[in-house]
Amino acid sequence: MAGSENSSGGGTVQYIQHHLTNLCIGDCDPVTHQAAGFWALHLDTVIVSSLLALLIIVVSWSLGRKLQTGAPSGFQNFVEIIIEFVDKSVKDTFPGHNPLIAPLALTIFVWVWLMNFMDLIPVDLLPLLASYVGVQYLKVVPTTDLNTTLAMSLTVFGLIVFYSIKMKGLGGYIKMFLFHPFGKFFIPVNVVMTAIEELAKPLSLALRLFGNMFAGELVFLLIALLGGAATIGAGLLYILPLQVILDLAWLIFHILVISLQAFIFMVLTIVYLGMAHTTDH
Amino acid sequence: MGKTSRPAGVLLLGVGTILSSMTISGFLLGYVTDYFLDTMPLFLLGFGFLGLLGGTLKVYKLLTHPDFNKS
Repeated sequence: MAGSENSSGGGTVQYIQHHLTNLCIGDCDPVTHQAAGFWALHLDTVIVSSLLALLIIVVSWSLGRKLQTGAPSGFQNFVEIIIEFVDKSVKDTFPGHNPLIAPLALTIFVWVWLMNFMDLIPVDLLPLLASYVGVQYLKVVPTTDLNTTLAMSLTVFGLIVFYSIKMKGLGGYIKMFLFHPFGKFFIPVNVVMTAIEELAKPLSLALRLFGNMFAGELVFLLIALLGGAATIGAGLLYILPLQVILDLAWLIFHILVISLQAFIFMVLTIVYLGMAHTTDH
Repeated sequence: MGKTSRPAGVLLLGVGTILSSMTISGFLLGYVTDYFLDTMPLFLLGFGFLGLLGGTLKVYKLLTHPDFNKS
């Protein structure tokens, strides 16, 4: 009994660990398959996020070739709604004019939403299919990988620094570090406080998205484990319907979460870039 | 383009993570400084405290001044 409990518990842990392990190549630990150094590459994250980016490009290109004026078709109408929504968000929150911001916001919103959407695909489906072709590890949601969210937030941070220096000038940018927030008598403290404040921007962007998506993925895995438990007993009759109800409820709720997280990432990017575009700090 | 007002309400979206992310940033910056200066844990604690203080100030500013125009 104890043995079976141990093996059951071990199986559960192994199942979760397996689903949370990326397909790592390069500098990876041969036992845990986790990244062991800087030159480790999460191949699944790169492939899935690139394929989704490719999907956006292909769909945009094909839609752009057959745009209708007047009364647009269903899909064009849907895309126009998204573009108008993003455009309105930019107009409401971004001071001044920069032709880069709206396309950047739209790309972030759609790309992050699509990457988050991978969470709604049944957790075992794609890893199972991949195992048939010899791929042992596959984590299909790129935003549950901190590398993805940090890479995106650092790109946004790079743009924030670029536009801050462009708008305020290098002297103005340095002044922001020296005299903000406590004035000229606390320059060392001001430098540290402003550095912390600036560093917190990409960190909060990345950690918020990663945390929400990772937690969501984990809940899906725990619900999926109910079915695994049911196969070993007569509990099949009530655990399986329970699993279906729980999964459906979490899935519906998660549609809201993935959309909200994509929206928050987009809107905070616009706000931070807007702050970088003002001459004050 | 200077002092254009922007809806500070949007910034409230991030208020939940400001305190924690600024504290973490403080500790991170302190850790890196200590690592290079070999002064562990002097800057780790100092910058961590400054991050906590800065985060608290920022949250206070956001919540008490809905139309606040400066970060």
